[in-house]
Amino acid sequence: MATNAIDQTRRMLSLVTYLRERPGARVSDVARAFGITEDELIADLDILPMCGTSFRGGDLLDIDTDGDRIWWHNPDDVAAPLRLAADEATALLVAARAVATLPGLREGDRQALLRATAKLEAAAGEAAGASSRVSVTFESEGGVFADVDRAIAERRRLWLRYYSPARDELTEREVDPIRLFAVGHTYVEAWCRLSEARRTFRLDRVAEIRLLDAPADPPPVELRDLSEGLVQPAAEDPEVCIEVGPGGRWVAEYYPHDSADELPDGGLRITLRTPDPASLRRLGLRLGRDGRITAPRELADSARRAATEALAAYGE
Amino acid sequence: MAIAKAERLMNLALCLLGTRRPLTKRELRSSIEAYVESFGKGDHGGHDESFNRMFERDKDDLRELGLVIETVEGLEGDVGYLARRDSNRLPPITLDAEEAAALGLAAKIWQQARLAGAASGALQKLRAAGMPLASGDDAVDAPHSALEPRIPAHEAAFEPLMLACRDRRPVVFDYRKSNAAHPERRQVEPWILECWRGHWYLAGWDRDRNAERVFRLSRITGKVRSRQGAFTAPVPDHVTVRETVEVWAGETATGTARIRLRTGHGYPLRARALTVRELGDGWDELEIPNGRGLDAWLVEFGPDVVVLEPAELRADVIERLRAVAKG
Repeated sequence: MATNAIDQTRRMLSLVTYLRERPGARVSDVARAFGITEDELIADLDILPMCGTSFRGGDLLDIDTDGDRIWWHNPDDVAAPLRLAADEATALLVAARAVATLPGLREGDRQALLRATAKLEAAAGEAAGASSRVSVTFESEGGVFADVDRAIAERRRLWLRYYSPARDELTEREVDPIRLFAVGHTYVEAWCRLSEARRTFRLDRVAEIRLLDAPADPPPVELRDLSEGLVQPAAEDPEVCIEVGPGGRWVAEYYPHDSADELPDGGLRITLRTPDPASLRRLGLRLGRDGRITAPRELADSARRAATEALAAYGE
Repeated sequence: MAIAKAERLMNLALCLLGTRRPLTKRELRSSIEAYVESFGKGDHGGHDESFNRMFERDKDDLRELGLVIETVEGLEGDVGYLARRDSNRLPPITLDAEEAAALGLAAKIWQQARLAGAASGALQKLRAAGMPLASGDDAVDAPHSALEPRIPAHEAAFEPLMLACRDRRPVVFDYRKSNAAHPERRQVEPWILECWRGHWYLAGWDRDRNAERVFRLSRITGKVRSRQGAFTAPVPDHVTVRETVEVWAGETATGTARIRLRTGHGYPLRARALTVRELGDGWDELEIPNGRGLDAWLVEFGPDVVVLEPAELRADVIERLRAVAKG
């Protein structure tokens, strides 16, 4: 893999410190401690012997490995632990604070995070200052979170009453939880026994939850790569086309889409794919005069019909 | 083959950390192989400008890694550089296995490359300083919440704005307000970046409007450019991105509304209702908080919601429905 030179330099500086304290360290242990592959570690070890404080008569780092253990033959006090950079302190502190405020997190975890945060702030000193300029909040329903967390730990099945905005209805189902994840909102990925498929449930849409005595028994599924986004439409999903004016541009921010082309009036023509176009009737209604669904025809018609029916209740 | 950048940076770092006295640029140039190879030893004055540029960039890169590099002016006017051990040493920090596990979880949550790199770099520094491996790292069942938090930051504006907030540098960018046809240039003194519900916002001082403003990063078009000079407005102690966004999102109630809702429908409306009264004819009457954007939300429920009051809300909903019915 391509390693960024800055990250590699940072890592090699820490590596030198680490190796000084641990003569004969095992390649596998060091790779694990540094969160890198053994190949990456070996690549670092190839560079280190070319490095040194060359002023004092060219004393290069005499570090070598037989592929199993690593030896540094002329350890040197240049290798004291280095202070944290502002970005490093920010990356850890912002993340730790965000997770620590998640409602429903186990108290033991929260306490560990808070203790680690305080120690880190003290050790980072000035470098911690900028971390107050970035802030992240995760939304979660504390009670639901705690129940799901417990079900995963105890490998138990869950019963949910779950709200589906697409259908505006509550459904009851039994699910085998697989994992909890937070991306802005908090979700549980689970095997749904009702649909016999993997489903993702947003915790704030869980109206009721109960732990069942039955053991959870999800079939082995490959976990999705969350960095690809939560909604990953399939190529065969039907296409929906929406035209919005300037006031409806937010649609492109909230709905993952295939294309968003500029229109002359400052609006957009957005095309997206969804397995269930009927779920977008809500969007058609919400847009009002800021936009309309142009395809598929049945979806556009159903939004119009719903509006006409609603107007009847107002005597129109 | 040119010597890898990581090797060059590593050598510069070790030279600066290893020395007890300031080293001049000339000394550094002649003792680091990567510089000699690219620019010669500098005896004949060749390549000076390109060497200087690379040297400055390299120093900046090391500073980004946290190295404190001092610039010392010598008696004869020549400048020397060194990274003193005491100003570069991590103060003692002792973390137990639980705390290490907590930080390990936290370090994984960045999806943005720069912060992801910084987070693993920080863990490596702590590890080198003696932080234990967490039990979870050994794939033993750990008694921790089974949680995978992720912070997305796909917006191109994120990194330049993070650096500008960090360094307190004014910026300029083009910004398209949610209902605007065209972007407008904004000059901003950036204070804080905040992620809420998975979206990033910037709060800062808008120089043209002479007022505090909140910007959504996804609405920034084109590049974020830095401006010279310092902030002109004081930075407040407490910045309220979230409160501002909650008002936009209609989560701050400004009164109440009365609606009729078809039985069995509109669970989220029921969940936040102040009162619910069964009417017995297949409809319920609810009192719900009224705030910005409630009209748009109620219209989503189509014929399952009828607004009773206030009259203004009722009129807004009717107008929206008419627009949709017209098609």
